[in-house]
Amino acid sequence: MSKPVIEVKNLEKVYEGAVPVHAVNGISLTITQGEFTALKGPSGCGKTTLLNMLGGLDQPTAGSIAIGGADITTLSENALIDFRLRNIGFVFQAYNLIPVLSAQENVSFIMLLQDRPKEEREARAQQLLEAVGLKGKEDKRPGQLSGGQQQRVAVARALASKPQFVLADEPTANLDSQSTANLLDIMERLNKEEGMTFVFATHDDRVIKKARRIISIEDGKVLSDD
Amino acid sequence: MIFKVAWRNIWRAKVRSFIVIGSIAVGIWAGLLIIGFSFGMNNERTASAIGTTTGHAQIHHEGFDAEPLSNAVVADSSAVVALRKTVEALSFVSGTAQRTVLGGMINSTKSARAVRIMGIWPEEERLQTTLADYMVEGDFFGATGRNRLVIGEKLARRLGLKLRSKVVLTFQDSEGNLNRASFRISGIYKTLNATWDEFHIYVHHEDLEKTLGTPLVHEVLVRFEETVDTDEKAGALAAVMPVGLAVKSWKQVRPELGFADDMMAIMLVLVLGIIMMALLFGIINNMLMAILERRRELGMLMAVGMNKRKLFLMILVETLMLGFVGGPIGILLGDLSTRAMMRIGIDLSSKQDGLAELGVQSIIYPEIVPSYYLIIAVMVITTALIASILPAIKALKLNPVEAIRGH
Repeated sequence: MSKPVIEVKNLEKVYEGAVPVHAVNGISLTITQGEFTALKGPSGCGKTTLLNMLGGLDQPTAGSIAIGGADITTLSENALIDFRLRNIGFVFQAYNLIPVLSAQENVSFIMLLQDRPKEEREARAQQLLEAVGLKGKEDKRPGQLSGGQQQRVAVARALASKPQFVLADEPTANLDSQSTANLLDIMERLNKEEGMTFVFATHDDRVIKKARRIISIEDGKVLSDD
Repeated sequence: MIFKVAWRNIWRAKVRSFIVIGSIAVGIWAGLLIIGFSFGMNNERTASAIGTTTGHAQIHHEGFDAEPLSNAVVADSSAVVALRKTVEALSFVSGTAQRTVLGGMINSTKSARAVRIMGIWPEEERLQTTLADYMVEGDFFGATGRNRLVIGEKLARRLGLKLRSKVVLTFQDSEGNLNRASFRISGIYKTLNATWDEFHIYVHHEDLEKTLGTPLVHEVLVRFEETVDTDEKAGALAAVMPVGLAVKSWKQVRPELGFADDMMAIMLVLVLGIIMMALLFGIINNMLMAILERRRELGMLMAVGMNKRKLFLMILVETLMLGFVGGPIGILLGDLSTRAMMRIGIDLSSKQDGLAELGVQSIIYPEIVPSYYLIIAVMVITTALIASILPAIKALKLNPVEAIRGH
């Protein structure tokens, strides 16, 4: 039995308003090391809210989230930023690379924030870009890369900080089928070969098909988990 | 790499950055021109005051200022000759002239005014001052004649006097008795300093002596070879003075020239401050735009773990860089154009009358003042620092989740 990476208990998120919205309504789940898991569900089902809370970007209204055994809901804002930097890799739908930096620099930048030495940054960035199939494109800026290539840089960036797991919010939503297949292959390989844990929030069938565990969410609750 | 990111970010919105950098450069340029112009004007004033009337230093009896009575003389005639020899032997002294200086009244048929009567040795005065070049009517003791008087144009107008008008001077002798003597206007002068012109009249020393009995020397004017380090030179001069005599540099004789320097320094700091304020708002605006445009990116950086200190630093560096690019360009432009104008001069002859009130010539030669380059550099950096605070706070307040989604 692998050790748990994420443990969520009775998680709730309520958006206050004229009519309070229960975006996440009592979710409990455990994600263990090495999983390749998809959170699926229709728009507005609460999967992105859940993902944001798992990533320490959003605070739950109730319940607890433990990452590697540490409760992150009690951390201060600054501590949370640092926690994200050292423990969580992010892949966003719109890639969100820094346009003025090359692919290599984009990957290095995270390690710079971690105060890693220059040699390590460069070597690791090189190695990661090679792993996502972008050898030879290290010096290209995001504007010179295709969407699929940019998202692969984003995956390399997410891994650069040596996180406990990678959260990917609709990573394939802007990609064509070929790029999607490529990206999924790369992530699957990193999962299998390096044991990296991936959690996706998606409604893309191509991603769901690849996932080894699929958690369906609807109305802020877990509908099925298999 | 933060520097690299900041540098490249500046050039993302080229036009906008050019405008901000341009405005910084132009602001500094204008500031330097104003500084050069102001210093040029003040130096002109000083040079003109020294040249036409005051000299670089003056020797008086130490009681002369407290009580400018006719008995506060420098020394008797033979001792004055010896004193002037000693002074002229100093290497930095180019010449001396002696004067009788009396307080008194001038009466015309129309009015009366208090004046300072300068009893001069005309040939000496001509050698050591340029007053003779500023005659508008008549001459400066050129023709022979008795009881001639040279008066400033402004005073002449006030008293309703013309060339060859008769006036009566009243003044004290060394015993304190009041004496009267009548004089005829033989020349009217107009220096660049209207205040001087209004208060000083010139007569031949012999004409005063007829009334006073003996030649009285109240003032020895000293000209230096160059108008630099005048305080030190005045000090050296004081060292060779016999007991009872005092040396004053032009700054002490004409304190208003020194005040003008102080006033100008305050004015310049104010002007620079206003320029910097304008730049401040320009830079803030630019940076706020930049933050707004990069919300997603900044949100991403916060999400992946860029802490607030580093985010703040990145925006700070970016703002400073605008100043570091614009600043040197402005200083270079300012320096080059001031240098160019130092050669050509700025012709303000259409404003001649107003300038005369201030004691300046109609062509101003700006001056380079290196210390102000440093002041400007510090001000620009400070401005950029202050300008970065608001945009940085704005960036720190971004919510990463919302920023990434572009809400």
